[in-house]
Amino acid sequence: MMNKTSLIALALLVFMGFYPLFVDSAWLAVGTTFLVFSVVAFSQDIILGRAGVFHMGHAMFFGMGAYTTAILNVHFGWPILATWAPSVLIPMAFAFVLAGPIIHLRGDYLLVATIGFNIIFIQVLENDVFGLTGGPNGIFGIDIVRLFGIEFASQTYMYYMAFILLGIALFIMRNLDKSKFGRAMFYINKDEIAAQSMGISIRYYKLYAFIVGAGIAGAAGSMFSVQYSAVSPEAFNVTQSIMFFTIVLVGGSASLPGVLIGTFIMFVLPEVFREFETARYLVFGLAMILTMILRPRGIWPVKFGDIPSYLKKGVK
Amino acid sequence: MSEYILEIKHVSKYFHGLVAINDLSMKVKKGQIYGIIGPNGAGKTTLFNCITGIYTPEEGQILWKGKEIKGTTPFKIAELGILRTFQTIRLFAEMSVAENIMSGRHIKSKQKWYNGIIHTPAYYKDEKENWEKVGELMAFFNLSEYATTPAGDLSYGIQRRIEMARALAAEPELLILDEPAAGLNENETLELTQTIRKIQAMGVTVMMIEHDMEMVMSLTEYITVINFGAKISAGLPAFVQDDPVVVEAYIGSDEEDEHE
Repeated sequence: MMNKTSLIALALLVFMGFYPLFVDSAWLAVGTTFLVFSVVAFSQDIILGRAGVFHMGHAMFFGMGAYTTAILNVHFGWPILATWAPSVLIPMAFAFVLAGPIIHLRGDYLLVATIGFNIIFIQVLENDVFGLTGGPNGIFGIDIVRLFGIEFASQTYMYYMAFILLGIALFIMRNLDKSKFGRAMFYINKDEIAAQSMGISIRYYKLYAFIVGAGIAGAAGSMFSVQYSAVSPEAFNVTQSIMFFTIVLVGGSASLPGVLIGTFIMFVLPEVFREFETARYLVFGLAMILTMILRPRGIWPVKFGDIPSYLKKGVK
Repeated sequence: MSEYILEIKHVSKYFHGLVAINDLSMKVKKGQIYGIIGPNGAGKTTLFNCITGIYTPEEGQILWKGKEIKGTTPFKIAELGILRTFQTIRLFAEMSVAENIMSGRHIKSKQKWYNGIIHTPAYYKDEKENWEKVGELMAFFNLSEYATTPAGDLSYGIQRRIEMARALAAEPELLILDEPAAGLNENETLELTQTIRKIQAMGVTVMMIEHDMEMVMSLTEYITVINFGAKISAGLPAFVQDDPVVVEAYIGSDEEDEHE
């Protein structure tokens, strides 16, 4: 049985799978970055769309993953493959340490605090702490993935690696949504008092969202650093965080197709309209405003009611 | 252990120096249907909020099976087996009825921390058991036909049933109902009365605030009357009904006051 959404998803999958065969290298790079940004947007969506935490510093976790791979590879000579685990685990550890003291804050207060963390993170990068982060220019010369003597150097390899990463991210998102953990986040998001009264620890599940979100963003960061073989601070600043935040709200909080659409609109469309230069941002600003007015729940809003079929028998 | 499942001893709660609950004591027996009545603004809901951990009373003790639970966070109170409904219905409005009731299964679900990322055979078993329990509750409360409907789209009476189903899904020992009949028509109230009796028959202790006197008198086994945060009368329904202090408190009050 295929419903309309599954058909669209399948068509998209096929299109994305064959995309590298039809495009030049510039558009291939756009495609790869689209995949990487989608993964980051999904991880932002765990925190913002599911747990309902107004977190506007997500580029920080993305950057931590990128810099972990860059530092371990360039300064310590680790192969890229070996940096994957730390580039996931280090952002997770930071998420636990940083979010812990602010997780009880209400929406707007927490938002300001997360921006603060992001600003400090950029300061740390730009000041070349311990001589590791390379200052404002960042780190260059990041290696490629090598496995069994194969060098995954071409942009096509990069694209398919990002494609697999997105697949893994979607697999996790789906598992999360169909578990006690994903549901608990939704309950907290919709009504904290009711959720608590059902025995749900608000702190635990918000932190869970932060840690899982940071881990996925870190993996995307690692991929990003390998794709460009360089990292620099401005790719992870507050403006980037705002972009990820906006992608989720414009596309549709907690909606998998919504977040993909959001990433497409916020990242790919500006590339398509590159010839219009900065004038295009006027259009995007307007698009963001109009979406919020006309479709406050996003372009493709989340749909609830995905319950086991045997419970739908009585539905008229 | 004493025969009382919940003991409230000399509890006082203040808001900015104003007394909301004043030296209140009561004891609830296991298996009882216990009624709390009183004029609007008397502090009844505040008492429920103190029991369920939303407020921490400044003075007194709240003993659950003999152990102090005052100051315990709401989610831990729920884990102890004290579940509640709300006077102003608090459902997850955008989510389906089944998903709302599933929230009650949260504390019974045995999923491990990694099951949010990867599913295991134990996860599938647990998930199935919990959804089946949701199915049973939807059947019990006549909600099966609304399984996929967003809870917020349904009528008041149905929403009240969803709230009770959700609380019952957690298999509580004590079910706290805050004005369950508010906004219900006569038929719905009758149905509710029967439902509460069935819940009691399952072995659940019930504590309820209710303004519908007919319902309270027919259903409850013991009543405490509160006015201005203090107990003014307590006893069997027949006694409380005729207590002059109670009659005076009701006549002297305005039924349409804002609730706290």
